[in-house]
Amino acid sequence: MTSLTTFYLSGIIGKVAFGADGDAIGTIKDLLLNTMPSGNSDPNQQLVTGVRLKIQKEIRFYSFKSFIVTKAREVLNVTCTALVELGAEEINNGLLLVENILDKQIVDMNGRKLVRVNDVRLAMLPTGTFAIAVDIGIEGLLRRIGIASPIKRILSIFKINIPAKFILWDDVQAIDHSNLNIRLTKSYAKLHTLHPSDIADILEDMGKKSSMSVFASLDEEQAADVLEELETDAQIHILENLPVNKAADVLEKMPADEVADILDELGDEKAEILLKEMDRESSQEVRELLEYDDDRVGSIMTTDFLSFSSTTTVAEVLVELRAQKPESAELYNMFVVESNDELIGTFNLRDLVVSEPNVNVSNLMKSGPVYLFDEQKVGAIARIVSKYNLLAVPVVDQNYQLQGMVVIDDVIEDLIRKRRTNKR
Amino acid sequence: MSESGFSIKKLLKQLAIFFAILGPGIITGSVDNDAGGITTYSVAGAIYGYGLIWTLIPSFVVLLIIQEMNARMGIVTGKGLADLIRENAGVKVTFFIFIGLLFADIGNTTTEFAGVAGSMEVFGISKYISVPVAAFMVWILVVKGNYKIAERIFLIFSVSLLTYVISAMMGKPHWAEIGSSIIHPRMDVSTKGIAMVIGIIGTTIAPWMQFYMQSSVIEKGLKMKNYTYTLIDIVVGCVATVVVAFFIIVACASTLHVNGIQIGEAKDAALALKPLAGNLASQVFAFGLFIASIFSATILPLATAFYVCEAFGFEAGIDKKWNDAKEFYTLYTGILVVAAIIILLPNAPLIQISLWSQVLNGLLLPVVLVCMIILVNNKKIMGEHVNKPITNFIGWTAIVILIGLSITLLILPFFKR
Repeated sequence: MTSLTTFYLSGIIGKVAFGADGDAIGTIKDLLLNTMPSGNSDPNQQLVTGVRLKIQKEIRFYSFKSFIVTKAREVLNVTCTALVELGAEEINNGLLLVENILDKQIVDMNGRKLVRVNDVRLAMLPTGTFAIAVDIGIEGLLRRIGIASPIKRILSIFKINIPAKFILWDDVQAIDHSNLNIRLTKSYAKLHTLHPSDIADILEDMGKKSSMSVFASLDEEQAADVLEELETDAQIHILENLPVNKAADVLEKMPADEVADILDELGDEKAEILLKEMDRESSQEVRELLEYDDDRVGSIMTTDFLSFSSTTTVAEVLVELRAQKPESAELYNMFVVESNDELIGTFNLRDLVVSEPNVNVSNLMKSGPVYLFDEQKVGAIARIVSKYNLLAVPVVDQNYQLQGMVVIDDVIEDLIRKRRTNKR
Repeated sequence: MSESGFSIKKLLKQLAIFFAILGPGIITGSVDNDAGGITTYSVAGAIYGYGLIWTLIPSFVVLLIIQEMNARMGIVTGKGLADLIRENAGVKVTFFIFIGLLFADIGNTTTEFAGVAGSMEVFGISKYISVPVAAFMVWILVVKGNYKIAERIFLIFSVSLLTYVISAMMGKPHWAEIGSSIIHPRMDVSTKGIAMVIGIIGTTIAPWMQFYMQSSVIEKGLKMKNYTYTLIDIVVGCVATVVVAFFIIVACASTLHVNGIQIGEAKDAALALKPLAGNLASQVFAFGLFIASIFSATILPLATAFYVCEAFGFEAGIDKKWNDAKEFYTLYTGILVVAAIIILLPNAPLIQISLWSQVLNGLLLPVVLVCMIILVNNKKIMGEHVNKPITNFIGWTAIVILIGLSITLLILPFFKR
């Protein structure tokens, strides 16, 4: 087998697969795609696992492993060495290229219609056959109609090229719009490789009911990330419909300030039920935040921050960071405190990275840090953030004890929300 | 006492719901009587008198059945007919249907502008003024204006189509003759006769209407619980279509046919009515033609651009901005401009264009209907709402008869020789 054969879905559908001895076996009707989790770092690959084959009158699914696609002078040949039937589970977890992808509408994150899927580009590698990209160009359209090559030949006389356009498979989401109830078909795993805010966009679009089934399939960490990115209405809807224990588990994984914001909107009774269900440590933090008035710095600060005593060495800080694996926002600014939690300095990731391992943090910190009081008005934040160009500002109480920090992301979110409410 | 108060309240509520969902069927029905339709009915009346009135009855039944299927498909799937055809029949079928429809609809739009030009000439306005002004108004209305309001205005204006009743009455029709021609349907088996029958059915059930009907049902966001109201809406629309068609034929039959006057287009009918039924009847006829033409000249290019975009997956809709739906607006503008230019060309072969777009429509209609009936019987798409046997029976019968008539029309000339 050659190392690489690329071909189009339209080229292989309707082809007759031949056995090793040259006898015709059956007609290819569809290809089945499964998501291959290939380690944590790589994006998931879309492997062709099965083929819908029509043998005489019967249509069945067989494993694609024993199929070989070769190309000789632009003509595809499909050879099959053995027929292995696929199990029901694999069929149900897969995505059918002709039935679920071909000719379907492609919609962008905001629900804007782009174009339809004209074809799918596949590649056979030694490790398997993969779906690479979705063809959305004019060329694909002409190929499907069966007039691509004559038209290309005519146009090449005039030196005109027909544009070919693709969307990489990594960017494609398979969403089943059939019969009005829009739901994700398969490969929930595919969804996870996206940025949480992208998923949030899709979820919001998919309507409330169907989003629940997706949400339920996420683990708590992912669910927490997605919930955080959702609009308030959607957050409330999901929390109200999730079983209390699951909702509490998700909330525990979220930063306390975000939880406080959501619970604020949710209504006292339901909020209390959720707080009781959450573990004591998380709920305590949220309760403290809930006590701040809306217009005080304390109401939008996060209590997830990193603080160290002045004698901690750089090496020890790094060990701690590796153990805790904090969110990136927490790394914007780290704090140095006295034993009574009084704030004495700040340092950031850069300070840490450029210092020798045995240096104490007291030697690399910026002393006399800029800070906010928890009872200060929210309006003060923007001034300080822009004046000092900070990504995160520490918050202290009147005894200068560190209470939390305000992250610029939260400030912006708050501003946007306010502007929106004002408009309404 | 309190009980009757309650039932009046209930009735009012039902009426409110009806008026809220009112539209798709009635508008489609009104657009149905466009310039092409009025021309066909007038010519049929002038040539065959009351003889072909019976064709309106099977047309009505088929129209009703088809529109009901469209509404049901729209409600159940939430998708347009173009969407469904592309997703289930693949690119090849879609491509050829839509290339055909695009040409047919450019031809039809041309006919609408011919209607505008003709009707305004009755009032003494040159086509070189009326057509560009009308085209520009229609374009502005859709691209810059508020289409929803315009639609309502059109809907009110379409009541003026009932002016054909006045025109018909002024011609003093012979009701007994009309009755007997309905009870004893006759058909003239000649190229001309069959062409006329296909013409009447074809103009009453134009392929583009199926797409328009289904899309407007979706745009209204109708649900299965509104089904009864939707059905009423469709019935009212179909009745309006057929009633207007009936009176146009009667008006022309009782005046032009009796006096042996032959006409080629709707404008001729309006002009010919003048000495026979009076100036007012003539102007009323022309006004109806104008309203019908301009209404259809708005909706036809719109519907065409919409379903072509739907089939190929481009963003479409009058609520979108130009940059968000470039393909849609370009197509819409293009159809309008091409149609208006054709009309303004001196010596443009208008009759040929109108004839060929009718033929294209006639060829496409069975194809679209077959696609529809296959789709509406697909359990995967329609679930429990697939066709009942009686609907299928009428649908397939209509398709077979339409195909039969088309084939007869095509091969008849060879036997005559």
